[in-house]
Amino acid sequence: MAETTFMGVPREKIPWFPTIDYDKCTSCMECDAFCPHRVFERRDNGTRLVVANPTNCVVFCRACAKTCGPDALSFPNKPEIIALIKQIREEERVK
Amino acid sequence: MKHAILSCTGLDKPEGSVAREVAIRSADAIGGAIICPVLLNRAPARYKKELSEGALIVVDGCSTRCATKLASRLGAKVEQRVLVSDAVKASGRPLESTLHLGPNGTALVQTMVDELVRGLNAPATPSEAASAWETPTEYLVVTHDKFEFRIPVVDYLFNENDVWVRVSDAVARVGISDYMQQKLTDISYFEPPKTQAAVDQFGELGSVESAKAVFEIISPVSGTVVGVNPAVIENPALINEDPYGSGWLVEIKLTDLAQDQALLLDGAAYADVVKRKAAEE
Repeated sequence: MAETTFMGVPREKIPWFPTIDYDKCTSCMECDAFCPHRVFERRDNGTRLVVANPTNCVVFCRACAKTCGPDALSFPNKPEIIALIKQIREEERVK
Repeated sequence: MKHAILSCTGLDKPEGSVAREVAIRSADAIGGAIICPVLLNRAPARYKKELSEGALIVVDGCSTRCATKLASRLGAKVEQRVLVSDAVKASGRPLESTLHLGPNGTALVQTMVDELVRGLNAPATPSEAASAWETPTEYLVVTHDKFEFRIPVVDYLFNENDVWVRVSDAVARVGISDYMQQKLTDISYFEPPKTQAAVDQFGELGSVESAKAVFEIISPVSGTVVGVNPAVIENPALINEDPYGSGWLVEIKLTDLAQDQALLLDGAAYADVVKRKAAEE
């Protein structure tokens, strides 16, 4: 199940999840087999992979990308996400 | 110690050509034996001697990491591992797209062989402040089903990625929590970060692996890697046995602890996170 918050910030406000580059993806499903958080789902009779549950993705984890031979998975810029988390925390604090 | 080198053969990719060349030249440089992954897969007994007598070095071409997976499937203990596609990124020079090595590929082979040989000759060592790091005695305990997860009450801070940090002067030790080591079960490999590498808070500090999963170590603090735990590289099971003590992973010279602390949790707050995570599983 998805984490509801990360560092006190609602998980859905943190855009951290993989993006699949379909020009590179070979549908080998290594990432899907690897990820224990069910971020990915197979579609079209198992021939195509989609990021079905982005908020299940563990914030700052990029381990699935390391299983990807064709280098088809990318993640957002980490410092930008950290800045966003700090900003949201600050906004919550002054409320 | 004798070494055996298991490499990607990668006949259809430039990274494979580099991996093969790195294996051959490293074997020359250190007097190691080369293991053919295809033959190892077909007839593991052929390499029984090499695998039992020597420390295993694995050279993977791309992130599919066939050589690593083969070693893991056969239960072979890996001492050191290198990945060509990571080295390409670190070099900032893309490989030529041909299967024959071009100038960038040739330069990369030399760099990788030099680093590999240097790493074997001079393993990273921890700082001299060992006496300041005693295993904690007081714990909070989070209970879930038949599991008990311990969390030290004092001296330790945590991030929500299940990594702890303990500070002494300007140096911090980092490791994974009892909750995470139990979740991973028997840890078989610790891939350390490079010493002297700069790391940001929430940057990567290598990974630990079990048969169940690969866990990326997300740094709780920013600074410079000044040491990795040689005992854990030798015996990764220490992480399971003593996650807050002798199973520590990395030492970091801190750059801005005060700022990092804004995004860290004390033991009580981390206990709440563990309760929530355990309940959600």
